[in-house]
Amino acid sequence: MSVARECALGSLLCIGVAVALAGCARTDPHVLTFAGSAVGREGEAIRHQLDQFQSRHPEIRVEVQSTPDAADHRHQLYVQWLNARAADPDVVQLDVIWGPEFAAAGWILDLDRFKPVVDDFFPATLIASRWNGALYALPWFVDVGMLYWRTDVMTRAPADLDELRQLATRGMREHGIPFGFIWQGARYEGLVTVFLELLGAHGGAILDRNGRVVVDSDRAVDALTAMRDSIYIEKVVPAAVVTWQEEQVRLAFQNGQAVFMRNWPYAYGLLQDASQSRVAGRFSIAPMPAASGGVPTEALGGSVLAINANSGDADAAYRLIEYLLEPAQLLERARVVGEYPPRPSMYETKELEDALRIDPSQARRIIEHAVPRPATPIYSELSQILQIALHRALTRQQEPRAVLEQAAADMRALLERTELAPSR
Amino acid sequence: MMALPALGLIGVIALGPVLWAMWESLYLHDLRMPWLGHRFIGLQNYVEAFSDPRFWGAIGHTVVFATVSVTLELVFGLALAIAVDSMRRGQGIVRTAMLLPWAVPTVVVGLVWRFIFESPAGLMNTVLAGSRVIASPPIWFADPLAAWTPIILADAWKTTPFVAILLLAGLQSIDRSLYEAARIDGAGAWRQFTDITLPLLMPALLVALVFRAVDALRVFDVIYVMTGGGPGTATEPIAMYAFSALLENLRFGYGSALSVMVFVITFLLALVAIRRLGRRALVEPVS
Repeated sequence: MSVARECALGSLLCIGVAVALAGCARTDPHVLTFAGSAVGREGEAIRHQLDQFQSRHPEIRVEVQSTPDAADHRHQLYVQWLNARAADPDVVQLDVIWGPEFAAAGWILDLDRFKPVVDDFFPATLIASRWNGALYALPWFVDVGMLYWRTDVMTRAPADLDELRQLATRGMREHGIPFGFIWQGARYEGLVTVFLELLGAHGGAILDRNGRVVVDSDRAVDALTAMRDSIYIEKVVPAAVVTWQEEQVRLAFQNGQAVFMRNWPYAYGLLQDASQSRVAGRFSIAPMPAASGGVPTEALGGSVLAINANSGDADAAYRLIEYLLEPAQLLERARVVGEYPPRPSMYETKELEDALRIDPSQARRIIEHAVPRPATPIYSELSQILQIALHRALTRQQEPRAVLEQAAADMRALLERTELAPSR
Repeated sequence: MMALPALGLIGVIALGPVLWAMWESLYLHDLRMPWLGHRFIGLQNYVEAFSDPRFWGAIGHTVVFATVSVTLELVFGLALAIAVDSMRRGQGIVRTAMLLPWAVPTVVVGLVWRFIFESPAGLMNTVLAGSRVIASPPIWFADPLAAWTPIILADAWKTTPFVAILLLAGLQSIDRSLYEAARIDGAGAWRQFTDITLPLLMPALLVALVFRAVDALRVFDVIYVMTGGGPGTATEPIAMYAFSALLENLRFGYGSALSVMVFVITFLLALVAIRRLGRRALVEPVS
């Protein structure tokens, strides 16, 4: 190599080393990263709150680490990061069903060392945040499945599923509305929450009190058969729902194409926006009704905040979580994003009523009766088995009884294989 | 000796991961369940796969998809190549323009075709219902068989140009004087095609077939984007089942076993095809 070339290569190497070292020197020991929903209104809310936190704690800097919005994709990304024992992100927003899974795998920190005060949280949200008796996450907001109904088609919400069917048919016939009742039927977690509600409405469950799989019970078969028949026999539900997730369902209702919609509370604010929505002022919400022999059931969803087990600064991370869970911050989130706070005491305040524009005591009652999904580390795999089974029945590839019996057998085998089966 | 660095590189990049996957497939390794440990279980993962109906379904879907898709691509690719070959002017521009579908990323192709076939207000259904060809068009992605139509269309649309370019090169290497001689002898267009074009094009056809077949057996992205394997698992190919086991459920042992089986199937197919290709390339076709 010529001398000039060697010099050039040498200087390039020196520059490279200098840049690398400069990068190292810039690392501040108190930079926290927060990973969670950071798009749209949620992004606005979290960035504003993180700015306020930083002005309150000038020695800590917080950055937002973007994650995909789709729950399954975010789950996969978390799993990759946390399994690789990355120090970032420090604080993670987890879906409420992921708590036991991440805790059992040793990816999130046991929070008992910080002695968190937990008496002002809904009990159901804490159950899903515990594993082996220790608390691993704190609830950030709750989601409950709700029935949205058109006030220009009926005067009050239906009292049971039969009335819902009649009102939907009447709306389709007399008001020319194309769809009677729409819900999320694509092959993903949302389908399990919809099924959970109709399952409870018929008196069934996925796991019984002892943790045994009972999703192949007669009542479960009835519930699934009713779901399928409402699409193909009664034609109250359009067949396209089996490809719809939350946003497609919301948009159909927003364009006035449905009499009833089952969706999460986030849709309420968007539907009231008269500049985008054709049903602004012409709808209301109610708890999901039951069938005879069942109990009105709403699926409990929401998010929790946890600390990465390999975080560089767990104390600062916990201070951030404490801050985000203060009533003032939860109220701001309710106002900007429409997400329900996890603290029951806030439901007696006028501020929450103004923020959410719904009756807080009714919302509190619904949340307290909401049914959580099974809190087990293998919930994702159980859910996958159930999603495939439900989707096959809803697309008429198999009969509900056969598909649920197969799913129950697979679930029991999975519990055996992972040594999590309930003791007999 | 001189080939050692290149062989070493191939060994590390290509052979290394394959051997590692084979090694992993002999272990129980569930990342999310550390209490189960990381123990040697021999061929148990393969036994589990062979007794899993979802595995056989995935193999079936993959084979059917590969067969239909590659056949369509070869037929339409050949037609396209013959059409372009017979052009007297503007061949250069058409050849470049023809490659545009292949240049579009598969994910984008999948999303656009999904948008077209989406129900109830997708373009396809609006056109079908409006022109009264089909009174009530199916909800494509809700039907286990109908869902294949947009998938195969998207894949064939994207890769037909690739096959056409390969076959065009083969066509242009055929001596024109053979056709003249055949015409003088009184052979019609169809006879010329079956007796001159097809036999002389056989090497190029086989190359195209092997490339496309090996690719089609590993299909993942177009189906992931369009149906996610649904409805139920009706359109799930084996690569997606391996992905689900490996990266969604973090069952590294079982997922590795599935990946090894994908590798073995495509490797055997490539081996058989290349052997036949080699034999044909050595024998001079006599008209």
